[in-house]
Amino acid sequence: MNPSDIIVLDEPRLTLADQFYLPQVLIGLGTTMKHMLRTLGGKDRVVQYPEEKREDLPVEKGGMLEPTYRGVHRLNKDEEGRVKCVACFMCSTACPARCIHIEAAESPWPDREKYPAKFDIDELRCIYCGMCEEACPVDAIELTHLYDIVGLTRQEMIFDKAKLLRIFDQTAATEPM
Amino acid sequence: MDWLSGIWHWVINLPAWVWIAIAAHLLVLGTVAYLILLERKVASWVQDRLGPNRVGLGFGIIPWLKDKKMWGLGQPLADGLKFIVKEDYHARNVDKVLFTLAPAMMIIVVIISIAVLPIGGTRVLVKDVVIGSDAQKPLTDYTPAEIAARVKETLPAGARIDEKLSGEVQKVGVLKDDQVEPAAQGEPSHRYLVERVVYNAYRFQIADLNIGVLFILAVLSLEVYGVVIGGWASNNKYSFLGGLRATVNMISYEIPLGLAVLCIVIMFGTLDLERIVDQQAHYWAGWIPAWNVFSQPLAFVMFLVCIHAEANRAPFDLAEAEQELVGGYHTEYSSMRFALFFLAEYAGMMTTSAVCVALFFGGWHFPGVDHAVVTIVNALTHSGAWVDPAHPAVTNSLTVCLIRAAVVFIKTLVVIFVFMWVRWSLPRFRFDQLMMLAWRALIPISLALLVMTSIIVYVWSPAQESLWSVNGQAALIFLAGNVVVLAGSMALSRVLPPPPQTNRKVPVPGSRFTSTPIPAAAYN
Repeated sequence: MNPSDIIVLDEPRLTLADQFYLPQVLIGLGTTMKHMLRTLGGKDRVVQYPEEKREDLPVEKGGMLEPTYRGVHRLNKDEEGRVKCVACFMCSTACPARCIHIEAAESPWPDREKYPAKFDIDELRCIYCGMCEEACPVDAIELTHLYDIVGLTRQEMIFDKAKLLRIFDQTAATEPM
Repeated sequence: MDWLSGIWHWVINLPAWVWIAIAAHLLVLGTVAYLILLERKVASWVQDRLGPNRVGLGFGIIPWLKDKKMWGLGQPLADGLKFIVKEDYHARNVDKVLFTLAPAMMIIVVIISIAVLPIGGTRVLVKDVVIGSDAQKPLTDYTPAEIAARVKETLPAGARIDEKLSGEVQKVGVLKDDQVEPAAQGEPSHRYLVERVVYNAYRFQIADLNIGVLFILAVLSLEVYGVVIGGWASNNKYSFLGGLRATVNMISYEIPLGLAVLCIVIMFGTLDLERIVDQQAHYWAGWIPAWNVFSQPLAFVMFLVCIHAEANRAPFDLAEAEQELVGGYHTEYSSMRFALFFLAEYAGMMTTSAVCVALFFGGWHFPGVDHAVVTIVNALTHSGAWVDPAHPAVTNSLTVCLIRAAVVFIKTLVVIFVFMWVRWSLPRFRFDQLMMLAWRALIPISLALLVMTSIIVYVWSPAQESLWSVNGQAALIFLAGNVVVLAGSMALSRVLPPPPQTNRKVPVPGSRFTSTPIPAAAYN
């Protein structure tokens, strides 16, 4: 950086009102009072979660846009009910959180070479960035709109292949591939 | 069962201030818990949220309240329970004695300062003592000893006659059909046979102290010791810095606080908070309440600013600046010790707000809550309630006193709301700005105001006592004095040299702020 690139800005001279601070304080207090009255008048921006849910609200009222929401993963199945995944490891390579663990095995089906014998996702490590979805060449892994996943142990939150396929069954109707 | 009735007798014969003290403590400590809820509510309203609204008073146990959320009213109780059952933890190298002492000191000091707050005026009992039934014998014929004996046998046993008030509100009347009627104008004096005796007077405050203002200033400035000792004992540099900042804050803002209070003290010539309230309990021009906030607005503003600093609250909460000092002086504290700090902060707010109400907002006085209330109380209870016109604080009705206490309480809550409103509106001062505000603005202005008030009182006050009761004219003069001081300091501030440059950007080669070219050698 050249010295000639530096622009030295002087602080603007304070007006009398600025200097005495109180007028500005009163303006600030007015702003917060406006917000307070608006909230007390029932115009808060709160979604009362368990009773109200974002998926029930219209998008312009702060609702959730389900097709683009990045929630828990699912493993898609093809028309014959087989897992679509070809165990190419693209998703686990792309994953910035390193939460996808795949063990490949020889495919029992003639149309592909490999399939995942194990497919575990640690949902606690996952940052729900959707990179796995982007990376997948066969659209086998997708993020659904489900977000309220809970478990009592950390082990429970490592979703295996069966569970991920079950999530597909659960969401296939509302969220087609 | 003799001992039981003995205890019972002892309990019901406790002096009034004991009961007032118990009631005031329960009220303050109970309110403090709910102030924390209010604080969270105000915070969320300002931020377009709703605040805690889940925990009702049923706690999921009481069947008929189970599903009621009740705007989160159970939250303070749940919080308190949490604090009590939390582990009483302290780090290894803390000074255990001081560490435990600090929060206790803070809460004790704050609670002591409640003692001199005037809550509801003076309650007196009054009896009209018939001195003689002989209409022809003038009162002057009775010797003082005879009158005293007569008074003594009429009053209940153990009554304490208030000589001062008896002298001041003494009224004599005439006995007609066993009823005392006030003497009409021009009646011959020898028919006045009845003396009104005031006895068992007690103030609606815990300690009847005639240096109340001084006491509060002295005790509240001790509050900072809790902060400093807590910060020191924690053996943590962040806590220590928080304690240091609190000290500096307190030293700087005690001065304008005291000077602003002194303006009011000089105006009324008394340090007794109740007398100050008493003298505000009338009207100017028939309808403007004679509160000091109207006659000394500048002193009020300075007092308000200083009690914000005194309470260590935003925008002066440098002692617990989360962004810089983790938690400040209470970083190492948890469980009930932390809760005591928290409690002390809010109880301190309550005390200072109540002092603010007493000094500037007429204490228990409110348009209507004087003679109108007495009339209503009289109409409802037929208790013969009255208020002494010369000293509006003095009344014989407990109901009136309780209504006044409620007024004080509500006014205090309004001031506390202002505290919270300010906290969630204003950003924290930088440290040099904090010092600048106190030393370059508040202290000179409050000194000028003090001089102005003194001059006004010296020139205009009646000879016997410095303005015993500030009338409308005097109030206008004080108001004019305030305006003059404000305008003068505004004009002066344009002429005075600018403050020394603080928050300097030190040129470090390679830093963003430096304009010195970096030598090429520095890169290699």
